[in-house]
Amino acid sequence: MSENNMEEKVEQATNSKNVSLPMSRVRLIMKSSPDVSCINQDALFLTTKATELFVQHLTLSSYKNGSGKETNTLSYSDLANAAEETETFQFLTDILPKKILARDYLKSLEEMEKDDDNL
Amino acid sequence: MDGDSSTTDTTQLGITGEYMTGGTYVLQTQDDDGDESFNDHEDGNGSKDYFREQDIYLPIANVARIMKNAIPQTGKIAKDAKECVQECVSEFISFMTSEASERCHQEKRKTINGEDILFAMSTLGFDMYVEPLKVYLQKFREAMKGEKGVTPVTVSEGLGEELTDDSFTGQLPAGLITADGQQQNVMVYTTSYQQIPGVQQIQFS
Repeated sequence: MSENNMEEKVEQATNSKNVSLPMSRVRLIMKSSPDVSCINQDALFLTTKATELFVQHLTLSSYKNGSGKETNTLSYSDLANAAEETETFQFLTDILPKKILARDYLKSLEEMEKDDDNL
Repeated sequence: MDGDSSTTDTTQLGITGEYMTGGTYVLQTQDDDGDESFNDHEDGNGSKDYFREQDIYLPIANVARIMKNAIPQTGKIAKDAKECVQECVSEFISFMTSEASERCHQEKRKTINGEDILFAMSTLGFDMYVEPLKVYLQKFREAMKGEKGVTPVTVSEGLGEELTDDSFTGQLPAGLITADGQQQNVMVYTTSYQQIPGVQQIQFS
């Protein structure tokens, strides 16, 4: 029960202290990692705050690097490019695959088949 | 088998489940709905906690707000970009947590603490976050103690004047500690944490 009161206090404190992501949800995500038992208050706060910084960092980085200059819009492919080109974001490449249209993929496959035939 | 050398029949092309030859590609249908919302089961303030492990995300509204504030005023964000960052965020948190957890285990501790998180960030290439985070943490700790009201508070001289309720609105620029770059620790003993006008910070040195 004291943990719940703590949660409330933390939420209040953080609401007025400029943390804009819900710490309870962050904790849920952290707990879904294997072998994680207890997370102390500082760790939870730091993770939440770091996540904010990460969102800002990833967003701005992708926007600057991408087509935003012309279209003014941050698109999925800007993010995928950032993941590939920036070392810090390379852990995201698995969840940010570059998208191609099915027909382009099949076409390139056919061309590969033709090359094989020609050998 | 027909004589036509071009075919889109997948079996003849030899496509099986694992047909990625190099790089990772996701096939995108021509009408990309991008409408998949990962928030369907998040309405109702978490009263139903039936989340699959991989579906736990931070609320898209919060994420989108932070994104919007990060880019220039005139910029826009595509919907699938918001959803994508939402997923990246969960990935980031898991990434940090498992690194911190590993360190924790190595040192035979059960509770992940702040140091573990900061260490994980440094190790994983996010050490540019560490210094600003330390400052935020300090403010956070002070805020927490302030709300409890009875404990002695350590106040840094530069931050001492700023600890009013409304002062935590702006983004804290990295590296801001005090005007002269020095940090002095001051012990202030009061029964409740209030700014008492006209009282100078007492320095116990």
